[in-house]
Amino acid sequence: MKRIGIDVGGTFTDVVLIDDGPGRIWFTKVATTPQDPARGALEGIRKIVSQAGADYAEIARIGHGTTIATNLIVEGKGARTALLTTKGFRDILEIRRVSRHDRADLYDLFFRNPAPLVPRRLRLEVDERIAFDGEVLQPLDPAQFQDLGAVLKEAGVEAVAICLLHAHVNPAHEQAVAAFLQKALPDVFVTSSSDVNPEMYEYERTSTTVINGMIGPKCKRYIATFEQEVGRLGIDGEVLFMQSNGGLAGAPLVMDRPVTLLESGPAGGVTAAVKLCRRIGVENAITGDMGGTTFDVSMIHAGRPQLRTSTVLQTVTVRTPTIDIESIGAGGGSIARIDEAGGVRIGPDSAGAVPGPVCYGRGGTDPTITDCNLILGYIDPDGFMDGELELDIAAARRAVDVHLARPLGVSIEEAARIVRSIGSSLMAQAIRLLTVERGFDPRDFAYIPFGGGGPVHAIEIADELDIDHVIVPNLPGLLSAFGMLIADQTYDLQQPVLANLDELTPARLQALMADLKRKADDALAAGGEGWSGAVARYSADCRYAGQAETLSVDIDPAADVTMDTIASGFAVEHQRHWNFTRKTAPVTLVNLRLQVTLPTVLNIPAQASGAGDEVKPFRHRAVVIGGERQEIACYRREALGAGTTIAGPGIIEERSSSLVFTKDWTASLDGEGNIHVKRNP
Amino acid sequence: MLDRITYEVLRSALYATAREMKVAMMRTAASPIIHAGGDVSAAIFDAEMRLVAQGNDIPTMLGSAVISTRESVLAVGRDNLRPGDVIISNDVYLGGGNHQPDIQLTRPVFLDGEIIAFVMTRGHWTDIGGKSPGSFTPDTWDIFGEGVRIPPVFIYRNDEPVADIMSMIVHNTRNPDACTLDILAQYAGTFCGDRRLQQLARKYGAAALGETMAEALLYSERRMRAQIEAIPDGVYTGSDYIEPVGDAELIPIKVKITVEGDSICFDYTGTAPQVRGGVNCPLSVTCNSTWFAVKAITDLSIPINQGCYEPVKIIAPEGSLVNCVYPASVVSGNTETSPRIIDLLLRTLSSALPDRVIAQSNCAACCGIFSGDDPDLDRRKAMRRTYVSTIDVHAGGMGARPDKDGVSAIRVLVGNAGAQPVELIEHNSPLTIEEWTLVPDTGGAGRWRGGCAARRTYRVGFEQATCTVIAERGRVAPKGLFSGLAGATFNSSIERRNGETKTLRAKSEQEIIARGDRVRIQPAGGGGYGDPLERPAQDVWSDVLDGYVSAESAERDYGVIVSAGRLDPGATEALRHQLRAHRGG
Repeated sequence: MKRIGIDVGGTFTDVVLIDDGPGRIWFTKVATTPQDPARGALEGIRKIVSQAGADYAEIARIGHGTTIATNLIVEGKGARTALLTTKGFRDILEIRRVSRHDRADLYDLFFRNPAPLVPRRLRLEVDERIAFDGEVLQPLDPAQFQDLGAVLKEAGVEAVAICLLHAHVNPAHEQAVAAFLQKALPDVFVTSSSDVNPEMYEYERTSTTVINGMIGPKCKRYIATFEQEVGRLGIDGEVLFMQSNGGLAGAPLVMDRPVTLLESGPAGGVTAAVKLCRRIGVENAITGDMGGTTFDVSMIHAGRPQLRTSTVLQTVTVRTPTIDIESIGAGGGSIARIDEAGGVRIGPDSAGAVPGPVCYGRGGTDPTITDCNLILGYIDPDGFMDGELELDIAAARRAVDVHLARPLGVSIEEAARIVRSIGSSLMAQAIRLLTVERGFDPRDFAYIPFGGGGPVHAIEIADELDIDHVIVPNLPGLLSAFGMLIADQTYDLQQPVLANLDELTPARLQALMADLKRKADDALAAGGEGWSGAVARYSADCRYAGQAETLSVDIDPAADVTMDTIASGFAVEHQRHWNFTRKTAPVTLVNLRLQVTLPTVLNIPAQASGAGDEVKPFRHRAVVIGGERQEIACYRREALGAGTTIAGPGIIEERSSSLVFTKDWTASLDGEGNIHVKRNP
Repeated sequence: MLDRITYEVLRSALYATAREMKVAMMRTAASPIIHAGGDVSAAIFDAEMRLVAQGNDIPTMLGSAVISTRESVLAVGRDNLRPGDVIISNDVYLGGGNHQPDIQLTRPVFLDGEIIAFVMTRGHWTDIGGKSPGSFTPDTWDIFGEGVRIPPVFIYRNDEPVADIMSMIVHNTRNPDACTLDILAQYAGTFCGDRRLQQLARKYGAAALGETMAEALLYSERRMRAQIEAIPDGVYTGSDYIEPVGDAELIPIKVKITVEGDSICFDYTGTAPQVRGGVNCPLSVTCNSTWFAVKAITDLSIPINQGCYEPVKIIAPEGSLVNCVYPASVVSGNTETSPRIIDLLLRTLSSALPDRVIAQSNCAACCGIFSGDDPDLDRRKAMRRTYVSTIDVHAGGMGARPDKDGVSAIRVLVGNAGAQPVELIEHNSPLTIEEWTLVPDTGGAGRWRGGCAARRTYRVGFEQATCTVIAERGRVAPKGLFSGLAGATFNSSIERRNGETKTLRAKSEQEIIARGDRVRIQPAGGGGYGDPLERPAQDVWSDVLDGYVSAESAERDYGVIVSAGRLDPGATEALRHQLRAHRGG
């Protein structure tokens, strides 16, 4: 069966085609076309199909990771959106939680406060009120609907977000307003908070719904166009979109809730890593994706990606299940400089893809992490991007000399080494924060680096964190596109409960779970799927009464679910996270969640060639390790066979990346061709 | 000599550790103001109790921790500390605290029998006993009215709670269950910091960690001195008035700032003596306000630690409003007087640094506290309590900046605790919030407009309850800068069910409210910066369309004419010309 994965990046779009019959894989790169995003993606499809000599009719699935949703917000190009709120509350979106936003330095009198997503003149109030328990305190006045419709029409909005107080408990008013507007304004994208994010806390629910509205019209159009154009090529296989939760979903399920696409791009790589872990029997792993401007970290525990229920985009809270990815400004293009008191600083500003690092020779003048890695020998000047881009090491040395080495009074190599080490330490710290904040110890995890730069810092990061096992997957630069193709289909559903466990009964819980399952039936049917082969996973967000943050506890629907099992599951989680429990405090069940998964079955073609009995380095290359220049043996990855073992120090080079491992490590290839680098006992 | 790589690695790890500690606390605390509002802080100190790293947390809690951590350790005796010990304290006179509701836990970090560092966590508790629910009333005779006094004592020994002390403390509050959970959360924060610092010291050596801490302090001091050097030498004087409890006279406050080379001195001589009522500042709060101002007007990229404060000298007469002595009460000194001091300092320095200061702001957490028996029997059962106390901050305006408008509905300067969601308040307590809305014309006019305040109206569902509002700027408006106009004053009231209305003072006495009453709380706005006639007419028109500015104010204050629902550029130009000419004459 032939399947295509497409990952749209900032500069390039990666495309992968796998034919799991004969076990073959093709990949290509095309330019991303931000003005008309579908064009680049379709170009990629045409190119890869022709490269593989395939027939369009043979393509059974296209998995598409898209940055369209994120870009609309980041670039401020969202639709002209109006917000309808309960009377007296139109400023919730602007007031937020009154405190300064998460990015503001609290000593900064000049901090930038982004303008509210919807200008005040487009925030309208509805005469109505529902109490916290769902009781209607003031009924809707249908006479007001006409006026609202007229104002919205006059304002020429493209989308309307509706978020009324306590609508997660009683959505009737939102539904009535939405139904009216859908009829009165058929061309406008209408979205309600009780559909998008039925969950307590009005600011977060409002901002999530407004974001959904702002990206709605364009995402909907993009999804429709993309499907249509793919069909026009002669592909009648399924077209699926990568969601923030790491699962794929068909157009009918994401069209009205494009907010689930916001982290579509970054989710692909992590999802591919999850699948890799399952295939090779690794339970716990940390992933590190080093790109041009950022280093993105995520965590796989017990074979599953860690999800979070809310995320912050441009200081705005968005609540939707998202693969838990932390990002820091330490990518290959991050600029190193000396501050006024002689300290070395990296990022957050980056040379990005244009002009890029100094060594790219595209006009960059500030030394970057990539320039330093090149000087030290961690990047091969000749083999970069298969030799498509020649790296100018002399220019990199000059930039490091002028901006770093001279001011510091050290050699060029020493200055580069300082930058590389600080960079590695920042990345290690990001990993530590991610794991420790969630109650884990990084030493219990393997490390999976990917992205072109990932392997370049992998061993130093593992050393810093006392991690013993590094796994460099096949085609690390393409892992994300690979993820688009092998991810499962997943749907997330949620239901507010807001009751203490001691007030609930197993029967009531079963009834709530059955409600969720019915909603899932509808979602599956909308996607043209059934339950055959589907896996349902229930979980409960719980907290001690009085707390705000919840922890998620799995519920096994097959087992006898009692409130005690949920309570003890919660206690275990709480102990792990925070080192204490409260034996007498009531536990509140806040939300019930259901994730339905339709697994993707695919045989992964092995990338290792031949038998790996004898390996010889194809050359030696100088690398600065720990302040010392050493001649290290280089191997070509594509020449290594399954079972090959190489004792460190060594370099394994491949298209667009290279891995340097020191004498304390030994590398070996598994049957798929993944490189396992293990610390010597 | 420490190598540069180890130094940078350890230095940034210290800040990351402070962040980890805060997260550990936030995710477990019970008081809504801690978990939803984030009124918590964490910091790391060297073995000599000097603050070396802190999170991007509430500044008011961190500056004062410079003093309170030392006091806590000295009070119990450094030699009496063992691994796993944790000291608790809140008292301003016995423990160097900032005000009684902020509880500090201090923990030594040991490696091989030696103290290598200290860590502290601080959280604002929603009740610590005292005269009135919420422990946040200014109307007290002395410090005893403000709640339980906790001198520095052990709350954990060898990582085991000292049950007697814990019980004694929490049962002097109105919500022992929540406070117990708060202690556990703050303890979890110190535990997390201790564990991480030990790991770092094992890996890199305690000596390297110690050297890093010492160098980090010197580094920040060097940079701070370079920044102060760039401020024009001179003596700058200023004065203002702080609002008292009740209708007493305004309280004068004075400052003389002397900039000389690379150091700066703040002399508060001439400030009024301490007064009855909780508006006084202990020295830790005055130091914190002063340090905040210095940090805010210098290069923000200077890593914050105690080294930043070395070039700063503070003279605050003992027994005055800015260095009160036992038994003066202090609760609002920390939340209201403190930002007022900063506003005064910024204004005083405006002639020397016009581009680094902002117009005056609302300057109040503006807490509203409602407490009484919960009439909802189901909720009583679910929450296992009969009594409920709700405290929340309210949203005022920020002063305009030299290149930007002031932000509307925002916490400013030293405070940053957020407000609770309306849905959470209604879920937890018998209050219905009828509106939470920005109020037009509350931001002072200017080339750059001050931020607007938001009004919140509560309808009371308690049979009977107490209500306290504690704010600032009911009588002294936030001034504008460089021809910018003042922002609106604090404006709050209680409307009784029988239709009578009672206006609330900024430092109100405790009121008794009953079912059906309405309480309106509206803090002050922010002052404007620069001449309002210089604000582009389009921007004023846009503000009118959005309802931040009324058409009347557009005409009166900005000289912008709106007729027939449109901007009238010709009439506007004529009016502005006339206003300028009038002014010149």
